[in-house]
This record gives sequence, C-alpha cells and structure tokens, in this order.
Amino acid sequence: MDDTSAFRPVGKRAVEAVPVKHRRQPGAHGIPVISCLLLAIIVLGCVFAPVLANHDPTMFYLDHLNKAPDSAFYFGTDSLGRDIYSIIWYGGRISLTVGVLSMAIATAIGLLYGCISGMGTDTMDNVMMRTAELISSIPSILLMLLLLAILDSPSVVTLSIVIGVTQWMNLARMTRTEIRQIRSSDYILAARAMGATFPHILRHHLLPNVLSPLLFMIISLIGTAMTTEATLSFLGIGLPVEIVSWGTMLSLSSRALLTNSWWIICIPGFFLVATLTAITRVGHALRHHAVRSASNL
Amino acid sequence: MTKGVLGRQIVKNLLVFLVAMFILSFAVFFIASYAPGDPLQSFYGERVEQMSAEEHEAARHRLGLDGPVYVQYGHWLANAATGDFGLSFKYKEPAIDVIQAFIGNTLLLGGVSYLLVFLLATVLALCCAMYEGTKIDRAIAHVGTILYYLPGFWIGLVLLLIFNVNLGWLPGSGAYSPGHAGDILDRLEHIILPVIVMIIGHLWYYTYMIRNKLVEEARQDYVLLAKTKGLTRMQVAVRHCLKNTAPTIVSIMAISVNHILGGTYVVEAVFSYPGLGKLAIDSAKYHDYNLLMLIVLLTGAFIIFSGLLAQTINAWIDPRLKVKGGGTSWTIRQLFGR
Repeated sequence: MDDTSAFRPVGKRAVEAVPVKHRRQPGAHGIPVISCLLLAIIVLGCVFAPVLANHDPTMFYLDHLNKAPDSAFYFGTDSLGRDIYSIIWYGGRISLTVGVLSMAIATAIGLLYGCISGMGTDTMDNVMMRTAELISSIPSILLMLLLLAILDSPSVVTLSIVIGVTQWMNLARMTRTEIRQIRSSDYILAARAMGATFPHILRHHLLPNVLSPLLFMIISLIGTAMTTEATLSFLGIGLPVEIVSWGTMLSLSSRALLTNSWWIICIPGFFLVATLTAITRVGHALRHHAVRSASNL
Repeated sequence: MTKGVLGRQIVKNLLVFLVAMFILSFAVFFIASYAPGDPLQSFYGERVEQMSAEEHEAARHRLGLDGPVYVQYGHWLANAATGDFGLSFKYKEPAIDVIQAFIGNTLLLGGVSYLLVFLLATVLALCCAMYEGTKIDRAIAHVGTILYYLPGFWIGLVLLLIFNVNLGWLPGSGAYSPGHAGDILDRLEHIILPVIVMIIGHLWYYTYMIRNKLVEEARQDYVLLAKTKGLTRMQVAVRHCLKNTAPTIVSIMAISVNHILGGTYVVEAVFSYPGLGKLAIDSAKYHDYNLLMLIVLLTGAFIIFSGLLAQTINAWIDPRLKVKGGGTSWTIRQLFGR
C-alpha cells in the first residue's frame, strides 16, 4: 500500500516510442488549481483554528451528545460531546504535523541510506539493499504494530518517528538507482580528485541532482503518513483519544455506527480524503514538471 | 543446465529464507523484551500481586521469561525447532493453537481478495492498453488514483454505514452468523464488504503496473506482424501481449502478497473479522508477545515463500529465462555472430 514506485513512468525506451499526444501521464495536467486552493484553505484553516472555531475544542458538551449538524454545531457533535466543526481544525494541525514530520524523517533516512548505498562498494551496496528489501517485505502495519507495542501511549513525535522509520525503504531504493546513474559523472570525479569529502559531495552534487525526480515520492509520503496516522489511531494503537487528530476523531466511529451518526464518520474522513487527494495531485503535477524539464525534446 | 540453475536458486533462496527468519525472530524477541507491560500480568491477571517471590520466579521460568535476553532467545529457538512456540499469554493456550483457529478466516478473505484483485486488474489493464490515451484510459486512471489514496478503513466504515446500518443488506461483523460455521454461503456473505474494501484499496496500483507493461509490449514489432496476419486487436492483445506480460504479472503477484496481507489487517479490524490481523492488533495491545512473534514469523515465512514460488513459476512459464539462466547479457557470439 505504501509503495508508490508503480507510478513512475514506464521504461525510457517505451516513452520515446510513444507518439507525442500520448505522452501525458494519467492524472497529471498542468498546475492543479483546485487542489492547490483546497490545500491552501485546509492549511490556513488549521493555522487559524482559534479564529474559526466557534466552540471550545477541549469542552465536552455532555447535554449535546451525538447531535446532528445544526446552526449551533455546524458539523454536529461526537459521542463525547465535542463540537466537530471546532475540533476538525485543531485535529488538522496534528494530522498535518504528523504527516510532515514523518515525511521529513523518512526522507532523511531514505536519502542518506540511498546515497551511501549508491556510492559504496558493490558488497556494501548489496548488503544495504538486501537489508532494505528484507525490511520492506514485512507488511509495514506489522512493523509499526511491533514498534508501537513497546511504546505505551505514543505522542505526536514518537508516532511520527515510528511512521518515518517504516516508510523510507522505497525512497532509499529509488535514491540509490538515481545515484548509481550519476556517480561516475565527470563532475563528481573532479570533486573527488580535488579532495572533496563524502558529506561535501552529498550536499553539493548528489542531493541537488537526485532530488527533482524523487520529489513526487517525497510529497506523496506526507499523504501516506497521514493515512497511516489515521489508520493507527483508528485501530486504537496510534495517538490516544485525548490528542485530537482526524485519525482519533475517526476512532470514535465504531460507536457512531451503533447510533447511525454519519457525520462523525463522514466529516473527518472527508477532510482527510480532500487533503490526501490535493497533496497527491500537487505531487503528480510536480513530477510531471520534473519529467518535462528533464527532456530534450 | 536449467535444472542446475533452478536447483541452485532454490538452495540459495532457502538459505536466504533461514537467515531472514533468524534475523526477524531475533529482532522481534529483542524488541519485545524491552517492551513495557508485564507478560505475567496478562497471563495470571490479578493473581500476580498475591504471588510470593518464589512463585513469581517459578512462573517466570515456566513461561521462559528468566535470564538475559539471549538466553531466553536460545530457549525459544530450541523450542521453536520442535514446533513449540510458547504459550499465548492472553488465551492461555499454545500460541500455535490460537493461530490455527484464526488463520483459515484470513486465508479465505485474503485469498478471495487476491484472486479478484488480479483478475480485475488484468481486465482493466487490458481495457486501458486497448484504448490507450483515450478518454476511457484517462477516466480509469483518474478514478483509480483517487480510490487508491482513500484510506481503506474509512471506505470500510462508509460501506458499513450504508449497507449494514442503513440498508441492512449485509452483515457487518464476524466471519459467520452464530450457528452457521459450516455454511459456505453465509461465510461468503460476511466477506463481501471486506473484499470490496480490499479491491478498492489495491486494484489501481496493480492495474497501473500491468497497464504500463502492456503498453510497452504493444510497441513491439510482433504486434504488427500479428495484425498483418489478420488477427483483431483483441486477439493480439490477449493472445500475444498478455501472454508475454504473464511473467511480470506473476512477479507483481509475488510482491503484492505482503501488501494484501497488510491490507487484511486493517480490514479485519474494521469489520471485527476474526483473523490474523485482528489477533495481531489485539496481541500488540495486550503485550502477548509469543503470539505476536509467531504471527510475524508466519507472515514473513509466507511472503518469502511466495517470492520463491513466483521465481519458480516464472522459470517454468517464461522460456526466455531458461536461455541464459535468467541473465540478459549476450555472449560475444550472439553479439557479433550472424
């Protein structure tokens, strides 16, 4: 589920053979205005949550349990009596934070791992790639289950770390492939001949060159991480209910099913899905842009 | 030659398999030993507090929890070699017996989803490749991408809300109605919604992979030849392109095993379906490490085994792999000979 490598364009040879009018990638067309707008609204809404909220997000309105949306509670209340409209903006803060933080951790590990593996000797490369393959052959949910089992009640940071350390393998593999392609380039040889150290080459030559083809993957990692957070919190092994996020809001949904309260399930879910779709569209557009600018045609 | 290569490949894979299982089990054991939560507590419950120090020691010894981690691991490994994977702390039964009660349900759910996902993915991919670049292709791509990024558990919830709570058409939890354990129709009725969620979550990813491969295949020269022979587009696509893509599909199917298995975990939790995934999540919640470890090992074994199987199947269906033992490098004679 977390593997996005399938969304790369098909082999180079095949792309060249495709007539020009067929060369658009499915799902990538110019700048996705609607997605950017949607994303901006959601992010700004979360930033200015105190302004938008019309109820106290920490308050339990006990005489308004499971109320359907009305003029006082725009999105209704959940089974704890919290105002969904108010907490959705606060919850978005946590969800987006986990998404970005996990992405940063996974990207840092993946890029570094991929660069070392790509530049290293064949034996090192083999061992490192086999290790990464071994880790990614275990379903990531199982890995996270194991890691979360040893954390009693995870916080935003620890959950992000758990998600980050289970999502870097694909990025590492792709980074390594990219690095292998440029590692014997003249400019790297020249830098080495001038006595540049690995960290210097990494920062000034390797990363700037591999980053643009990997951008799509890095961006979609935010979406993956947000989905993962929501899933784990829903399963009751992610964030505790007291920390409001879109995932923990959805963790009340098994109770909502009993009372047939659709708004508890649909509204946080809709926000999550809208954000995910927008992020993915932006990522696709960026990748499309990267592919186009790399072509000499 | 081919037999030797295949044999060596299998031996090599078995070695990798053993090493991987060893590392995996040690890692799980190590992590579990540092985990909070007292396994004794989950096993004996309230009684732990009334135990004397000696009883406590004896209980620890009985569950294999005394001594440093590597000694514990040694015990566990020696027992595991004889098929004894320890007691489940929560169910107070051998872990392997607990799993036996649940594994069938997961295999049914996973197996049906697996087959349907690949059947539909192949059909859809064929559809995309036949109408490549047209509105049909792009529409499938759009819908597929959106569905792919929907969180699986949320689709499950929405489906439950519609078809179980409001319409009352389909059951929403369990693997069978009480008293209908042997009724295959009843079981199938219970997996309809879970399977739909699995298909929605996984279909597009594999469709896209197969589509790309088919599109690549459609650019080969033999397609022109086949068309000149008078075959219709459909005949060429199915008889030639799809046939040539088969090894790729088999490889993708092998890689997909862990994704599908991971998917069943979430789906089982949403639909309260008594399977391995629900068991794993519960055992993580209740610190039932013996059980969790066995589930991890079984999953790992299953995944590595399916990889091995795919390699063997590919060697058997794809004659191109037999020519040079799977390599693509050409000999000097092939390069320069006439």
